Amino acid sequence: MVVPAFFNTIEQSEFSIWIRESPSFFAFYFILLFHTIGLSMVVGANAVVDLRILGVASALPLNTLKRLFSIMWTGLAINAATGVLLLIGYPTKALTNPIFYAKLSFIALAVIFMYRMKLLFDDSSLSEAVLIARSKTAAVLSLTFWVCAISAGRLLSETYKYLNYHQYLMKQGGS
Amino acid sequence: MDVNLAHWHLLLNHFPIIGSIVALGLFLTSFVGENEDLRRASFIIFTGIAFLSLGSFLTGFGAQAMITGKPGISDALIQRHEGSAMLTIWFIELTGALAVVGLWQYHRMKRPAHWTVAAVLIASILTVGLVARTGNTGGEITHPWVRANPAAAADAPVTEGPIGSMLSAFEPTPASFTSFVIDNKWIWAFLMAVHFIGLALIVGTVGILDLRMLGFLKQLPMAPLHRFMPWAMAGLAANILTGLLAFIGQPENYIYSGALWLKILFLLLIGVNAGVFYLTGIFNRINPLQAGEDAPMSARLIAVTSMVLWFLVITFGRYIQPLSNTVRLPGAAGPN
Repeated sequence: MVVPAFFNTIEQSEFSIWIRESPSFFAFYFILLFHTIGLSMVVGANAVVDLRILGVASALPLNTLKRLFSIMWTGLAINAATGVLLLIGYPTKALTNPIFYAKLSFIALAVIFMYRMKLLFDDSSLSEAVLIARSKTAAVLSLTFWVCAISAGRLLSETYKYLNYHQYLMKQGGS
Repeated sequence: MDVNLAHWHLLLNHFPIIGSIVALGLFLTSFVGENEDLRRASFIIFTGIAFLSLGSFLTGFGAQAMITGKPGISDALIQRHEGSAMLTIWFIELTGALAVVGLWQYHRMKRPAHWTVAAVLIASILTVGLVARTGNTGGEITHPWVRANPAAAADAPVTEGPIGSMLSAFEPTPASFTSFVIDNKWIWAFLMAVHFIGLALIVGTVGILDLRMLGFLKQLPMAPLHRFMPWAMAGLAANILTGLLAFIGQPENYIYSGALWLKILFLLLIGVNAGVFYLTGIFNRINPLQAGEDAPMSARLIAVTSMVLWFLVITFGRYIQPLSNTVRLPGAAGPN
């Protein structure tokens, strides 16, 4: 595999170095913290809606949960932003790992189902029973994709091939 | 910063023993005339003990680091105590989890199911037996005069009585846990994935309850919303399990981290906050709230406290690694 040299340009930029190496409280681990907070917002709120559709807390009127979608979008926005920052910190590490692409795919799938569910919620002509009947499969898939996305995310730190561009060059030279 | 974890261990380690015995006493007494108040009280204590024991258990690793290798301290006795604690903690947590199920059944139905009562009975009797052994073996480490052979040298092998030798067969060795959790990166990744899924479940369910009490999702009726609570408890159980396994797998990565101890402190405070919420009548006041009705100030305070404490638990969880060398354990041979 050929790793594009501009990963190196990113890694050597002042901002990337700051994200990785700054001892500041607001550098790497702060970004990671908000990546976790964002995760718990989008997945937590989506899981509550999914579980409700699957029969948990069935006395709760479904349309009252409509407002949870704004929590999900906020969480997703936080994670897109913090995710980009983490990517700037470690482009080679992330982009040379197939599991990273699997993670992005799972997120994309989960978000597609989240968006489709939102459209159903917005359709005021649908009764609660119809809404539930039409989103049961989506709820199961949504939970599954989020579990897969989180698991893939957790695997990244265990499975990367090259921590950075420099390591890639070293390994190329050695082989 | 100096933190005397041996001292904290001595402070905390009596609660699981006394608490379990008191709770079991109340629980057994509750069978006389089927006294449900007494039984519910015993379930509450079992739950509290399961929480507090996390502190007792984890500080033990710090205490161990502080006294290992000191004159007159037997490594064999420490190992035996540690093995005993590593078996006992699961039974304490199991008893607590079953007690929470029982408390939920008290809330949902009139009384807990028969299987719950039977399960708590078995788990709590085993817990009391095991916790007694953990207390005994721990006491022998620093109180030589209670040992079977007080004159034995510090490096003498441990002699067991008939019950002890039976139990020690089941007690895990610290090293076996380490290799289980650490040597296989897939197991480690699995533990962490479950830990994060549990986190999302807790934040989703508890966070929405908190927001409702604060008035942000006021159109949600309270009682139906509260039916998500078992999912929060499932997340908590998963995270206590995976968190303990991660810690036991590599205690030296955790015990010198100030963030870990703050995380545990805030987690115990969450237990206190939940206790105040459910036991002082605040929950009973807010549970009937219909759509659009405001929660009282007391419930809002509980909700804010809950959100702040969970935020701090997550924050210090994330900072365990960068702050992994911020605590000095006086006398320990470890970092610093």
